[in-house]
Amino acid sequence: MTYLFRILVLFSIVSISAQNNAFQEDEKLVFTASYNMSGLMTDLAEVRMETSLVNTSKATLLRLKCTATTYSKWDNFFKIRDIYESYVNPKSLAPYLYQRDIDEGGHYKFVKYNFDYKTNTVKSLRRQKSDNFESGFWDRNDNIKFNSGTKDLVSTIYHIRTLDIYKANVGSRDSFTILFDNKETEITLTYLGKETINTNIGNKECYKLAINVSNSDVLKGNNSNVLWLTADENKIPVFAKFKVAVGNGELKIKSVSGLKN
Amino acid sequence: MRSLCAILGIISAILAVVLSALPFFNMAFIPAIAALIFGFIAFYLSKKQNLTNKKVQLIFLLTIIALIISTYKAIFYEAEIGNTDALEVREEQGKENALDELDNIEITE
Repeated sequence: MTYLFRILVLFSIVSISAQNNAFQEDEKLVFTASYNMSGLMTDLAEVRMETSLVNTSKATLLRLKCTATTYSKWDNFFKIRDIYESYVNPKSLAPYLYQRDIDEGGHYKFVKYNFDYKTNTVKSLRRQKSDNFESGFWDRNDNIKFNSGTKDLVSTIYHIRTLDIYKANVGSRDSFTILFDNKETEITLTYLGKETINTNIGNKECYKLAINVSNSDVLKGNNSNVLWLTADENKIPVFAKFKVAVGNGELKIKSVSGLKN
Repeated sequence: MRSLCAILGIISAILAVVLSALPFFNMAFIPAIAALIFGFIAFYLSKKQNLTNKKVQLIFLLTIIALIISTYKAIFYEAEIGNTDALEVREEQGKENALDELDNIEITE
């Protein structure tokens, strides 16, 4: 499931600016994640992407939350309950806090990044279960320098949707940097053109984007990882195909609500 | 040859039945088809040699059971997510912790 999230994220972008006309608070996108088992696509999990506004004493932030839950039939084999969330500036989508709280087949991991834009550093906390500590957890704190424009996984997914892809020419590429596992990872997105596909929310004309990850073994193949975003103002990610080390899979839109346009 | 096909057919048919009962029931179609192929070959050879075909009957019986279960599941099975109570508690805790962390944050435009 970690792969699924990385993939959704890694299916980033074609930069060219951006004002957020694509989504607003209280938007909810639901996906079905499938995995190819011996040539047959099998539904594995439900992925949800939700947005909401949160108020602190000094600011209003946008909470971007992604959750992954395996279907009940898989729970006895490999139960997944993952939460990835990012608290961002509602206008620029710059992340201030990123939390990754995953529980995959009994393996628990918690990661937190506090972004400090004054010093361009991220205060990172990584927590795992461990019997060697009284608290039951092993914590590791780090400070990481980051380059301007670096985002976390979740805010990158949403950032993609704010890009003016219609201005891009077929074949044009752009690169983006994501902070994941305390490392900055560069991803390159290539615009492959428009394509009309049949989805659960109707026939949609889509922007087709291929994603490649530099120096990473997460995604395999050249242009084997493709994301389809609706070619309208909402730029809903309706379909994604990905190829990882252990096979390939798909993410398909199931339902949408709270769209901005 | 007949015995080999019959044994392979029975193994494939049993595998198909087992898979049809598991979450990855979609995969049961592959051994089921293999079982049918082996079954037909064993049936043909049995008839040609005028021998009994009890094993072939067993292959077909198991394969039909596997196909019925898998097809029923493929058509009528609605994928539902499991219990998310613990997940919801973690979500809420995560939000509370985040609000504590972000309380003094000042957004730069």
